[in-house]
Amino acid sequence: MIQFAKDYIPLYFAGTLVALGVAALSMALSVGIGLLGALGRMSGNRTARSVTSAYVAFFRGIPPLVLLYVVYFGLPSWAQELGVRPLADFLAPLNNRIMSAVVAFGVNSGAYSTEIIRSAIASIHPEQMEAAQSLGMSYWLAMRRIIVPQSARVAFPPLGNEFIAVLKGTSLASVIGVTELMRDAQLVAAATFRNLAAYTLAAVFYVVLVIILQSVVGRLERRLSLVHK
Amino acid sequence: MLAGPSLGQGREETRSKPGTLLSAAAEQTTRYEGSGGPLLQLIDVSKYFGKTPALSDVNLTVNRGETVAIVGPSGSGKTTLLRCINFLVPYDSGRILVNGRLVGYREQQGNTVRDTGHNVNEIRKRIGMVFQQFNLFPHRTVLGNLIEGPLYVLRITRSEAVTRAQAALELIGLMDKVEAYPDQLSGGQQQRVAIARALCMEPELMLFDEVTSALDPELVGEVLSVMRQLARKGMTMVVVTHEMEFARDVADRVVFMEASKIVTDQPASDFFERPSTPRIGAFLSRLSLPRNSD
Ligand SMILES: Nc1ncnc2c1ncn2[C@@H]1O[C@H](COP(=O)(O)OP(=O)(O)OP(=O)(O)O)[C@@H](O)[C@H]1O
Ligand SMILES: [Mg+2]
Repeated sequence: MIQFAKDYIPLYFAGTLVALGVAALSMALSVGIGLLGALGRMSGNRTARSVTSAYVAFFRGIPPLVLLYVVYFGLPSWAQELGVRPLADFLAPLNNRIMSAVVAFGVNSGAYSTEIIRSAIASIHPEQMEAAQSLGMSYWLAMRRIIVPQSARVAFPPLGNEFIAVLKGTSLASVIGVTELMRDAQLVAAATFRNLAAYTLAAVFYVVLVIILQSVVGRLERRLSLVHK
Repeated sequence: MLAGPSLGQGREETRSKPGTLLSAAAEQTTRYEGSGGPLLQLIDVSKYFGKTPALSDVNLTVNRGETVAIVGPSGSGKTTLLRCINFLVPYDSGRILVNGRLVGYREQQGNTVRDTGHNVNEIRKRIGMVFQQFNLFPHRTVLGNLIEGPLYVLRITRSEAVTRAQAALELIGLMDKVEAYPDQLSGGQQQRVAIARALCMEPELMLFDEVTSALDPELVGEVLSVMRQLARKGMTMVVVTHEMEFARDVADRVVFMEASKIVTDQPASDFFERPSTPRIGAFLSRLSLPRNSD
């Protein structure tokens, strides 16, 4: 077991980096979607509200693995068959496994981020908006300068947890051949026939990674806190 | 919410440090002084929340440099009146004029329509508002709170904004708290910073909504003392308050509201010496105004 670990740790490290990269890109997409989604959910515009609610309901309901299949196996070939050139070009990047994984996980997680950011914004007292407006700030300026920065501090811990969930979810990308941690474990298992060792080592990597991330999130959380006493 | 027990607190303190704030910012004196004439006019203003009237045909004129105290029982419409002035609450009918300019509405082909957000903000820039709950921005330092509006609304330079902030901090006597966050300050200090935040916009009118009601009694005096300085410097102020002593000593006029209406509007001395209706007598006696000690 020790020798086994020694032999494969470098490979697992490489897989971990890929997993982290995919998770980070997915999370960036997720937060971007979440911010827009939250503003849409809280908007006075009825269409914006229904579109964003539908998005949340829809993508929270789809298992990420199903979404990944749709995005990677479904969309590019569908556009190809349809023969609409611009659409095919637009979706061509999804032939890249990593790109597909990022889009699928980002769009899936975006539904959760939308809810996290929406409730963070809602947790800021409406008096903050009034104070900003009484200074002559427009709604959007007040959002940008006063409400969103405060909400970001509130949203940070749950978004940190969401990032950890996304990171664990990247193991699904192994099914489309992204050589992240889980995929590496599968390859090792196939080559050595030592299933238990191969997957246990992967499990250990995930656990350690998550513990590290959790402590980083905790530290940042304290630093970003609105309480200064 | 009646602040009966806290009435008159802090008076000694106020007197024991005469004029320190005033002298500190004496060079600003002229800034707040206008040229006379009504700065604020409310004409037949009404506001309903659903079927509940919050303001019924309210008429009020405030001249430049005047301090008008608004008093009255809970739910009489005092907060609504203030919030209509800077259009945080849209009024239903009548007209509100600040500097002769209609607030929140404009004429369009003979109809009165809601004014643009831009125009409303133009008016809000010139009206400072101070809230009962301070409402400082908790994610910014004291300095950050003070320069936020000047930088992003007035769009003056950072160094100008900081200069203004320093003058305002001197006025409220909190020069040593520039880098503090609001939650590191006492309630009284926070409220003084909130006043300073409004002053940094160099407003021509200041609105105060029960700004001492959320404070511990021993902190009321320091906030009232800052407001006294402003009144003395000629700032135009509309002050909703339960601090009757403050109203008597500082206000030029006292407006008594009840059930969404202005019942009386008289010089402060008349209001306290010769209550014009029994209701005012009853209101005052409930607040147990201490007899004039001098
Ligand atoms: N946002 C609102 N929605 C519905 N009704 C409201 C709202 N704001 C105020 N009202 C009602 O309007 C009336 C006037 O309220 P307002 O807050 O102006 O009174 P007030 O004189 O400031 O009272 P207090 O001394 O308690 O602060 C009350 O009947 C109140 O219930
Ligand atoms: Mg009120």
